[in-house]
Amino acid sequence: MSSLASLRDSLLITPLPAITLTIAAFLAGGWLFNRLGRPVWCPGVLMAALLLATTLAITGIDYDVYREGAGWLMLLLGPATVALAVPLYQQLPRIRELWRPILICLPPAAALAAFYAIGLAWLLGATPEVLASLAPKSVTAPIAIGITEQLGGVVPLMMGGLLVTGVASVAFVGLLARLFGIQDQRVLGFVLGVNGHVIGTVRAFEIGTTAGAFASLGMGLTGIFSALFLPLAWRLLGL
Amino acid sequence: MLELRGFLWLTGFLLLGEALVIWLGLPISSGVIGMLALTSWLILRGHVSVAIKAASQPLITLLAMLIMPGVVGVFFIVDAFAGQWLAVGVALILGTLASVATTFWFMQRFMPRETSEGRAEQ
Repeated sequence: MSSLASLRDSLLITPLPAITLTIAAFLAGGWLFNRLGRPVWCPGVLMAALLLATTLAITGIDYDVYREGAGWLMLLLGPATVALAVPLYQQLPRIRELWRPILICLPPAAALAAFYAIGLAWLLGATPEVLASLAPKSVTAPIAIGITEQLGGVVPLMMGGLLVTGVASVAFVGLLARLFGIQDQRVLGFVLGVNGHVIGTVRAFEIGTTAGAFASLGMGLTGIFSALFLPLAWRLLGL
Repeated sequence: MLELRGFLWLTGFLLLGEALVIWLGLPISSGVIGMLALTSWLILRGHVSVAIKAASQPLITLLAMLIMPGVVGVFFIVDAFAGQWLAVGVALILGTLASVATTFWFMQRFMPRETSEGRAEQ
């Protein structure tokens, strides 16, 4: 057993085990997600993350060691964020067509998505570190990571918040749409994208392509607006 | 080589974003600046080149995997934030309910009614 442990530690000097485990867990999580009939309450990323966390716990790999190795993989987040320019550019005709309602709705909606959560957490006595981690809760992950680091938050806590927010958004949009009889795909998609980032956008594509397009649009614009707005708001609030 | 050429465009714009962030002292991540710069470039060009498309699509599909190392971390910080979890949970759930309701209200109020053409499309 001790020889196995020493083999493990020798292997962990390179980032290879972390990279291999991440890819394997991602593919296994996707497979499991499809096998379970694509449940809304447990997205594929969450399943993959649970599998990965269990594996790390069983093999006794320290999270910080894993994180250091996986950092090589996360280096790709930068180019992947830049790549979001392509779908954004492809949405431009829609933005031009409906620029007025979008311009009116987006800034208050995206700002309130952050401030409701910050306000509630502050009232309940959360620390500034926690507040900074909750602020980008409705922002798509690659952009949210940048924002949290700027604000002085904790990335893993922010990621957990992102996950809960995404799943909750899908549930509440379904509930409120039924309650008020809202069927306009443009409205449903936009609300899902602004509040529920990637998880909401995936759900919107299940409703229809129009909803999906408006969700991508809402997600992209919320990301850009929050990336510009939150660091400035933080500076003004003196946090 | 197509994907590689597209990837070079992406890293080039990321580098440009990084340079702008350092140079202007912007409080924004270099990825976002790179994305905005590439969007402006695409608008100027009037189309997306095959190479940029070929590199972007797989990267965007892989986004979920790239964020996993961060997501996993939440299971290892449970102790570090003991006493804060009630605040976090209430803020996330009630905050999301409130913001979903607000966004619905804004959209219902300001979005022009769907045309019959738009409905037929669905």
